[in-house]
Amino acid sequence: MIDRQEGFSRMRTLQWVVLIIFALLGGRIAYIQLFDARYKELARTNVMRREVQYPPRGEVFDRRGEYLAQSRECYDLMVVYRDMDKRGFDTAKLCNIINIPPKRLKQKLADARMSPRAPLMITNYVSKEDKLRLDAASFRGFYTVYRTVRHYPLHVGGNLLGYVSEASPSYLKRNPEYKAGDYVGIGGVESAYEPQLKGRKGVKILERDTHGAIKGSYMDGHYDSLPVAGQHLISTIDARLQRLGEELMEGKVGAAVAIEPSTGEILMMVSSPTYDPDELVGRERGNNYMKMLGNKRNPMFNRAVKGKYPPGSTFKLVQGLIGLQEGVLRPSDMYPCRMGYTVGRLHVGCHAHTSPADLRFAIATSCNAYFCYVFRDILENPKYGSVKKGYEVWQEYVESFGFGRRLGSDFLDEGNGYVPDRALYDKRYRNSWNALTVLSLSIGQGELGCTPLQMANLAAIIANRGYYYIPHIVKQVEGSDSLDQRFYERHYTKVDPKHFEPIVEGMWQGVNVAGTSTAARLEGYDVCGKTGTAENPRGKDHSTFLSFAPKNNPKIAISVYVENGGFGASVALPIASLLEELYLTDTIRRPELVKRIKAMKIAYPAYDR
Amino acid sequence: MTANHSNSLFEGVDRWAVLLYLIIVIAGWLSITAASYDETAVNLYSFSHFYMKQIVWIGVAMVVALVVLLLDVRYYHMWAYPAYIGGVFLLIAALLFGREVNGAKAWFEFGSFRVQPVEFAKIATALAIARVMSEYSFSISRVGDLLRIGWIICLPLFIIILQNDTGSGIVLGSFLFVFYREGLNKWLCIPILLIAALFIASFLLSPMTLLLLVLVICTISEIMTSGEVRSRLIFLASIFLAAVLLALLMALIAPGVLDLYESLLCVSLLAGVGALVYALRVRIAATTLTLLLFFGAMIFLPTTDYLFDSVLQPHQQKRILSFLGIVSDPSGADFNVNQAKIAIGSGGLFGKGFLQGTQIKYGFVPERHTDFIFCTVGEEWGFLGTSFILAMLCLLILRLMRMGERQEEPFGRIYCYCVASILLFHVLVNIGMTVGLMPVMGIPLPFMSYGGSSLIAFTILLFIAIRLDASTRQFSVNKF
Repeated sequence: MIDRQEGFSRMRTLQWVVLIIFALLGGRIAYIQLFDARYKELARTNVMRREVQYPPRGEVFDRRGEYLAQSRECYDLMVVYRDMDKRGFDTAKLCNIINIPPKRLKQKLADARMSPRAPLMITNYVSKEDKLRLDAASFRGFYTVYRTVRHYPLHVGGNLLGYVSEASPSYLKRNPEYKAGDYVGIGGVESAYEPQLKGRKGVKILERDTHGAIKGSYMDGHYDSLPVAGQHLISTIDARLQRLGEELMEGKVGAAVAIEPSTGEILMMVSSPTYDPDELVGRERGNNYMKMLGNKRNPMFNRAVKGKYPPGSTFKLVQGLIGLQEGVLRPSDMYPCRMGYTVGRLHVGCHAHTSPADLRFAIATSCNAYFCYVFRDILENPKYGSVKKGYEVWQEYVESFGFGRRLGSDFLDEGNGYVPDRALYDKRYRNSWNALTVLSLSIGQGELGCTPLQMANLAAIIANRGYYYIPHIVKQVEGSDSLDQRFYERHYTKVDPKHFEPIVEGMWQGVNVAGTSTAARLEGYDVCGKTGTAENPRGKDHSTFLSFAPKNNPKIAISVYVENGGFGASVALPIASLLEELYLTDTIRRPELVKRIKAMKIAYPAYDR
Repeated sequence: MTANHSNSLFEGVDRWAVLLYLIIVIAGWLSITAASYDETAVNLYSFSHFYMKQIVWIGVAMVVALVVLLLDVRYYHMWAYPAYIGGVFLLIAALLFGREVNGAKAWFEFGSFRVQPVEFAKIATALAIARVMSEYSFSISRVGDLLRIGWIICLPLFIIILQNDTGSGIVLGSFLFVFYREGLNKWLCIPILLIAALFIASFLLSPMTLLLLVLVICTISEIMTSGEVRSRLIFLASIFLAAVLLALLMALIAPGVLDLYESLLCVSLLAGVGALVYALRVRIAATTLTLLLFFGAMIFLPTTDYLFDSVLQPHQQKRILSFLGIVSDPSGADFNVNQAKIAIGSGGLFGKGFLQGTQIKYGFVPERHTDFIFCTVGEEWGFLGTSFILAMLCLLILRLMRMGERQEEPFGRIYCYCVASILLFHVLVNIGMTVGLMPVMGIPLPFMSYGGSSLIAFTILLFIAIRLDASTRQFSVNKF
């Protein structure tokens, strides 16, 4: 406690402190406001404009260096209403240059009037030539902003590459780092590698004079930042293969996927019907988009990764492998087949072939009965006590082949496919079911659903004799040494690699000796293949073919799936064979076959009703 | 005291303080309107505008002020500790469950409005400080008692620092003002102030200017304590001369090794050491003190500067700046402050008139309705407006000190001084940063910046002081 006198004197001191602090602030403010003319001068020129600088989007190349997606220079035409010439300007000339109806321009200018100081976009996708004409005409208040627009020079890979368009309001809501007017990749590679492709925006702060005319860069560009271009991608796609695949699949609904087994790189991915990605770029986008939405065959649905199809007879390969691993099947085991497999009233039909058959021959000739026996033996294995337990074991095996779940590829919208689990049957059959109830699974029918990507992956697994790399679509991102680590891991199935040899042998015999796939034979390239003909409730059977080549050191694994194509050998097989021929020999030696397949149009009453 | 006690709520209330408060609040509202006014908005009276929201907050603040005046004065004394403990818990709760805004985890969010507990913690701390220091047995010269008030300040300060909201925390340091009034040793105040001043200066001035400043200040203090003008000035002059000679010499022998600043640094350090040895031998206490001051400043200065520029990585520097509550500027350098200065400077003497400002609207003044609200005053009302606002704030602070002085109870006096010091600190830092005198810290201008929680908290802070003062006057009026 201090005495009154001392307290009073200290109060005086503090009063001085307060006064000095305020005098200091006041003096500083007086200096800024009254004596330093610099700030008034700066303020006059300080009505700035912030211009966003858009980066060019990264370009996409195929594995051989061809452009799949290119970035082309284009411009947005912007207006700042307040800066426009008050005496009016030649609107007809402007409309003429940028090719929009005068009514639309009027509408846009009315919008701009609502917020006179904010830049508003009149139109986008102005070509470079038109931009130069605009510059020459120099309309006050109008300016152009550099953008890049996508161009797909080969016009292939609609669902594969995706497309680029202005971010929608809902997208902006979910991704606050995007601003209205930004372009964003949608679907396929464009969306999966959006962060790498988009680059970084820059900003330019411009200074203007009292009349609002741009004087130049503010503070010599001290506060500007340059846009950083998006990274280029090298895709795993082989453009030749992709183009041929799309041509061959034309007029058919389905999907074809080819994978390089030794790396998991996707060489080709066709979803048919497809579209030209260029159609979804530019001013015509809206119209084309609506047209595609109207197409009942749904060209914007990527069947290759999202479709769910019964694998049909190609699934017998998996069945055989599980049987071998479980020890309930030896390659030399013979089973009889008299036009099918019959137990009581249950009958699974088959075609005429010599009987009995061993495993290799059963695969080559695609015997249904053989795999009914195998499947029953797996499920009814006394080792597991009950069929239901046996089924669970079987399901685990199937899933280890990548079925019933996403493979983890770089497609964001990859589908799961479907492998039914025990609970489904327990529920449906009120707990009373056995191997015969689910017998159709033995030949890849029933509830089973696989994506074409999973089927191609199965081809790769067999080609590799027991493992796969996660299929992926990008080989290299510019500026980075490696892809995501998951693409370098080998994924083994639960079946020992030693069991693959007889299966491969069967596939080889089916093509090169006798069987359902002999038409796929390519001289000098030990092609291995397996046809599939999948029954379905919506009309004619689906045609599918699973193949890889050569037998040793395989270069390509492929799966072709054609909806309602009939026998596997009738449509899917020639398509796969031609693609293999092109990839392995770099030429097509059967042009008349190409012509015939291209001309083949399949009727789809289910779609085109 | 009994009969007419209840008939007037406002009896004894200091009319000047209330009037100043109202003027500042209204000026603040006008500025917020100007800063957030959008001529193109469809509905000017929509409650989505800041100025319409602020009307609501002002209304709430008035009601709160009435409630504060209604409460019996004894409650504030009684509730000082519970309020303090509650405030600390609120701070901890904000740290644990709060929402992060601008990097500081210091906010509670209720639907669409946010509350910053630190605003209320200031009130609670002021009450607690007043309560402790007004105890009969309290003596500010006793170390134990000093430690007690140290604890009271450091506990919330520590939590606020953890919240990464150091700017708001440093406000508590302004209680030094109060402690000085209550008799804190002058020799404790001066080094603290000097360090604070040097620290701020180290962000604003060049090392050379700082060094010259330190030399001059030390010489002046030495002259004042010893009374010897001539010899001390000669000493200073010889330091300069030696430094220039050394610099020239080094430029001839090994160019680029020592520049003028570095040679001055070397010479003055050597001279300082020499003088210290001499002063210790002949036992001149005052000189020793000055020299200690000098070395303290020297250690502090080059270390902040040196550590900052050479040892720390840029991202570490950034982190330390933001730790200190100094807002880092994403667009580089001092773009924001520069814009703020342009806005204020362009106002001139008379300003551009209400709603006529261009810089606020179309320039790039950041946070123009909250932390940089003073820019609007400067641009639209000119020097007349800024000096008017400064005068109002200054008068309010002086009025609070006066109110404190006339209290009979130390509790009331100390509390009034606490309020005055908090307001002074806010005004100094907030206005100081808009005109480039202070580093940018995100603290609001009292009663003027947009924001409900800040306005209400400052209102409570002020009206408790008014209430305490009113009771004293009621009491004294009735005594006679």
